[in-house]
Amino acid sequence: MALRLWTYFFKRAVSNILEQRLIHLISMGTITISVLLFGAFLLFIVNLNAWLLEWGQSLSMSVYLEDDIGEKGRLQVLEALKGLPNAEIRGYISKEEAMENLREAFGAQAVLLDGFERNPLPASFELVFKDTDVKSLRAERIKEDLESITGVEEVQYSEQWIDRFEGILSLIKAGGFIVGGLLCLAVLFITTNTIKLTIYARRDEIEIYKLVGATDGFVKVPFLLEGSFQGLIGGLIALGVLYLVYSLISLEPLYASAFPVLHVIFLPVWAWLGLAGLSVLLGLAGGLVAIGRFFQPGA
Amino acid sequence: MIKLFNVSKRYGQNVALADINLRIRQGEFVFITGPSGAGKTTLLRLIFGAQRPSDGQILISNINLGRIRRAKLDLMRRRIGFVFQDFKLLSGKTVFQNVAIALEVTGERQAVIRKKTHQMLRAVGLSRKETLYPPELSGGEQQRIAIARAIINDPIILLADEPTGSLDPDITKEIMLLFRTINLRGTTLLFATHSRELLRDTDQRTIHLRKGQVVQEVEPE
Repeated sequence: MALRLWTYFFKRAVSNILEQRLIHLISMGTITISVLLFGAFLLFIVNLNAWLLEWGQSLSMSVYLEDDIGEKGRLQVLEALKGLPNAEIRGYISKEEAMENLREAFGAQAVLLDGFERNPLPASFELVFKDTDVKSLRAERIKEDLESITGVEEVQYSEQWIDRFEGILSLIKAGGFIVGGLLCLAVLFITTNTIKLTIYARRDEIEIYKLVGATDGFVKVPFLLEGSFQGLIGGLIALGVLYLVYSLISLEPLYASAFPVLHVIFLPVWAWLGLAGLSVLLGLAGGLVAIGRFFQPGA
Repeated sequence: MIKLFNVSKRYGQNVALADINLRIRQGEFVFITGPSGAGKTTLLRLIFGAQRPSDGQILISNINLGRIRRAKLDLMRRRIGFVFQDFKLLSGKTVFQNVAIALEVTGERQAVIRKKTHQMLRAVGLSRKETLYPPELSGGEQQRIAIARAIINDPIILLADEPTGSLDPDITKEIMLLFRTINLRGTTLLFATHSRELLRDTDQRTIHLRKGQVVQEVEPE
């Protein structure tokens, strides 16, 4: 009998939604937008974390050479780099190659670079320290040692960027979760008011159901299911749109100068299940608040 | 079957019922009469459990309505039918659906609901109008839908609050015949009315109310 009743409740909830589809569509649309915004933020964070992890697993250094170093000086620098423990020389980028890379990165705007009378970009050696404890590498010390070599103008390494990035990332996360919390409240507010409206529109029907002996649960459960369905459908549509956007932007890998290729990943399973679950819970909570106000004890 | 002990009902300063003591036996057909504001509707609503008395106790089949939990009261309502003057039908649902509601709330199987509803509609003469909507039917037909819904669960008690109040005399006779048939099958019937035509020459027990008090009780000879 429980299965029979629940089947009946589901059918009533669906039929209620179809009968008042406009108001439910508006509510679902709002939920979709809210979940989409939060999901986009989560996607951004997930990818930033993945990139940081990728970068953090190896330390890369760019050793920039002075313009007038000459071939002899370049070879001396090369010998010094070969002597560094756990260092792998990825390659040498000449001034011309550096300019060519920059032109490619600029794309259609490369014409802007034509204004330079001389090539301002330095030549560089690209180093990677792999399979080592990056934290104990004392990158700053290595940087100072390399910069003291004749012919080396400057040394930059990826950890400097990562440290700055992690700080910014923490701020973004905190801000994002605050906004996410506000979006959750918005979803709760929307579903509460939608269910209250549908209850009010059906007050005559509710009176008749109580008249013929329906329990409070029999009357309330379909409204709770309506709220849950709103949350579920809104959440699923949002995830669908998010996946579509992800599919479009992941068609081309991202390049950033000397940094490795960045791949865009979708939300992990726990994240998108969590988002869908949160949508359903918010819809259900909205229904609970709505019926709690409408069905006072003793009424 | 129905016992009222010192039952009163107040709405603020207004006394709707004052110190009512009544015994209604199983299978009785009782008229409750009196002018407007006498307390007829309040009395029926208290017996139905829609409201609680300010004082006193109401027992139905020895169950004290003031002591049972809300969920049990809902279940008890399935054994008490209620018919109103304004029918209280759902205009957006068909005749069939309006009657079937009373069985749906019990969690009954669809096949049984369909069978019983068809039978009930045939019994009240509406089997050919199952797919119509209440606004498409006459007042008498709508009241028959309401009666069908009220009795489909074989209630032990049927409460009728001015059920013929908005019907013409010919239709009223048909409806009264239906009520007598229901009563003859064993259902206790409390019928609230202020219609003198209905009370004229009646052989049923009649309770007269005035300003919330029982002023006269006429027992059948």
